Amino acid sequence: MRIFYLFKKELIEILRQREMLVLIFIAPILQTIVLGYVVTTDVKNIPVQVVNLSESRAAFRIVNRINHSSLFDVKKVSHSPEDAVSIFKKGTAKAIIVLRDSFEAGNKNIRYPEVQILMDGIDANTAGIAAGYFNGIVRYYIMTDIKQKGFELPLESQTVIRFNPDLESINYMGPGIVALLLTMISMFLTSIGIVREKEQQTMDTLLISRLTPIEIFTGKALPMALLGLIEMGIGIAVVILVFNIQIRGSLLYLFITAVIFLFAILSYALLISTLCNSQQQALFFSWFSMVTFLLLSGLFTPIENIPRAFRWLADINPLRYLIRIIRELFLKGNDITYFTKDLLIMTGIMVVLLSLSIVNFKRMVSR
Amino acid sequence: MIDRSKDFFGDMNDIIVARRLTKRFGHFTAVDAVDFHIKQGEVLGLLGPNGAGKTTTIKMMTGLLRITSGSVWVKGYEVTKNLNKIKKFIGYMSQKFSLYPLLNAYENIEFCGGVSGVPRKIIKEKKELITKEIPREILTQRVKDIPPGIRQRVALFSCLISDPEIILLDEPTSGVDPEVRREFWAKIYDLKKKGKTILVTTHNLDEAEYADRILIIHKGRIILDGEPSELMRAEKAESMERLFRKAVTGHEAN
Repeated sequence: MRIFYLFKKELIEILRQREMLVLIFIAPILQTIVLGYVVTTDVKNIPVQVVNLSESRAAFRIVNRINHSSLFDVKKVSHSPEDAVSIFKKGTAKAIIVLRDSFEAGNKNIRYPEVQILMDGIDANTAGIAAGYFNGIVRYYIMTDIKQKGFELPLESQTVIRFNPDLESINYMGPGIVALLLTMISMFLTSIGIVREKEQQTMDTLLISRLTPIEIFTGKALPMALLGLIEMGIGIAVVILVFNIQIRGSLLYLFITAVIFLFAILSYALLISTLCNSQQQALFFSWFSMVTFLLLSGLFTPIENIPRAFRWLADINPLRYLIRIIRELFLKGNDITYFTKDLLIMTGIMVVLLSLSIVNFKRMVSR
Repeated sequence: MIDRSKDFFGDMNDIIVARRLTKRFGHFTAVDAVDFHIKQGEVLGLLGPNGAGKTTTIKMMTGLLRITSGSVWVKGYEVTKNLNKIKKFIGYMSQKFSLYPLLNAYENIEFCGGVSGVPRKIIKEKKELITKEIPREILTQRVKDIPPGIRQRVALFSCLISDPEIILLDEPTSGVDPEVRREFWAKIYDLKKKGKTILVTTHNLDEAEYADRILIIHKGRIILDGEPSELMRAEKAESMERLFRKAVTGHEAN
């Protein structure tokens, strides 16, 4: 019963701050909408320059295809050599596509120009994707052309994409953003929970009370867990209503996953709160942790890209498992048997963080 | 029942006994092997300038600070070993009143009562009681918006909500005007009449005369212990300030 008073006090303290209310209830809606539209891994409208030195029909057709593709934004088509370095330095194009007549056409019946793509490698990701797109356009043109001339390709692959057939990045970013919201609010609000008591000198009131350290810990964590779940609910509603992404899996599994994750992240945030001496320190620590969790979560870049030596950092990151499970629930509609392992690992991380946090809190209390 | 362990060597009337109580923060000794006792029903003033070790002493008595060496017994229970037991007897009001600025006075009182295990019905009755002293429209304001004098009364009320036998007040009169101070001491006497034991720390020497007995603490050591009038007579000091200066000078000379 004593814990109820702490729970109530914590909620009153948060809900009485108007700025906090905006942060809790309005920001997630705006964030989900903005991030949903902005944070996309689709590469479109890549600014390119075409240098067509070929007089062949094939070159003309390829240029025409590039011009009509939504993937490229053709800034200029020139018919004389250009200084690539100067173009890249000016930043007017990220790729220069050069087409010129081949001196050694192997087959006189099929005459294609030589094609070269020069990329600005500063944005390595876009450069790689753009090169892939361009090669795709050229390959498709050649295949169509060969078929029109009556030849058959000896081998042809067919790609079938399931769960997200249009490869819309919002479909998998949207659920990820929900996970992000859940982490952000819970971590930031909780990390200042205990340190605020220290700063406003009310910690003594808590410690002199009949509350046990575990009751204080729980009384601090539960309201944040509740707010975190409300946040997640808002995020899910926005993802469903605004982006029309349907959740195919069970909401109950999503709730169970969120609760386990919340206790992991709240334990971590309370650990920060006990270690820091000011709210400023706690917020800085949270921000640093948040960025690290995010970069190692697989939200923006695949976990498999992380070098093996550092992969363990991602393995101990609870956000990684949450994002994976949320995506599986949203897009694949998987049931719990498909992500039991992830759930168990996340529970393990939660138990370790919770234990560390409680031990540290007890140590702080008896200083 | 008082559990008098073999280490406890206070008088039967002593409700608090400290023996060679010491607190060190790194190389700095905040409280240096102090011995003192507080009798049941006594109003004890712990006097000293800022940084003398008053708050550190009181926090060790409540278990809020870990004791470096020595011991303190509250009602016969050694604090470090019986923290949960002694919490039942103690009411503590900290230096900055320790109220939640975003909660109103009623909510603060309810919170203090609730986390101290006071039944809901009693909390409700106590809230009605304070309404007789302070207007409801003030009590419903957020604590950060109410004057320091009222804040002090609310803090004292919150501290007393669990009806503790021992009341430890850390600088309760700092930052409040003389009129509020007088009212405060009148309340302390009321509590004494009810049999409560009260320890008040202060750096205002003129408040010393309100106490039944005073301890003067300087640089972590108790340099004087006795009834204010007796001490003044013995030391031939015409005011508390003179008495304090004499004691400090004598201590520093030694």
